[in-house]
Amino acid sequence: MGPGALQKKLEEEVEAYKKIQKDISKTSGLRTQLDVQLNENKVVKEELDLINEENVVYKLIGPALIRQDLEEARQNVSKRVDYIQQEIKRHGNTIEKLEKEAEAKRENIAKHQQQLQQMMMKQAAK
Amino acid sequence: MAANKGAGPQVIDISKLNLEQLTTLKNQLDQELQFFSESLQQLKIAQLKFNESGECVEKLTPETKGKEILVPLTSCMYVPGTVANSEKLLIEVGTGYYIERDVPGAKDYFSRKIKFVTEQMEKIQKIASEKSKLREGGCDLVCFESQSF
Repeated sequence: MGPGALQKKLEEEVEAYKKIQKDISKTSGLRTQLDVQLNENKVVKEELDLINEENVVYKLIGPALIRQDLEEARQNVSKRVDYIQQEIKRHGNTIEKLEKEAEAKRENIAKHQQQLQQMMMKQAAK
Repeated sequence: MAANKGAGPQVIDISKLNLEQLTTLKNQLDQELQFFSESLQQLKIAQLKFNESGECVEKLTPETKGKEILVPLTSCMYVPGTVANSEKLLIEVGTGYYIERDVPGAKDYFSRKIKFVTEQMEKIQKIASEKSKLREGGCDLVCFESQSF
């Protein structure tokens, strides 16, 4: 492969690498947000577990406070906690996969850079 | 570059790092410290708010029932009213859920929240001072190395 084509390939790889980095940071951000939501829901779950039937529970739906059944509220929050934990796991897996891809790309880029350098040196020696 | 600094349990002797890596490490620690101090501020505000709410609840005793109060309808309009119920209080616990509790229950909620926030603040304070020490050490090394050139 001539140096021109190699250079072009290198640029393509760098572009792809940058895209992977962007995806990683986007997914990381989502994961952090999910963490925050998880904590909030855990706190609500704790509070709901502490009270008993005589304390009324309301949920804010739009502009209205609607009365909720305690058991139903507890189940809803539990389900939300489970769902968020699943989402966090999923995002974690995606990040892991993306990081492996990024690592492979990094090595590829380094290899190509080396090849290009060697080619340049050979040309300069001529 | 990111791979060199390591994370988690990997121990790096900072005296082995060269100047460029030290500066990057110092910048990263600076950012982390900034984040910690912002978090501490937010926690402090939360602590103050919970404190205030707790004190308001203290004021709501059985004697206040039937007392005249001014109820805010908008940010600049108040309407006279009377305290109808000084036993039941609605507390927002998060994610759109509100729980009705009596006065001791509400006081208990706020004191628990204040304790929780204070604990988190102490945790962050500890980590922040460790990072600060690390940053100081890194800073000294940077000065030392740049002098030896």
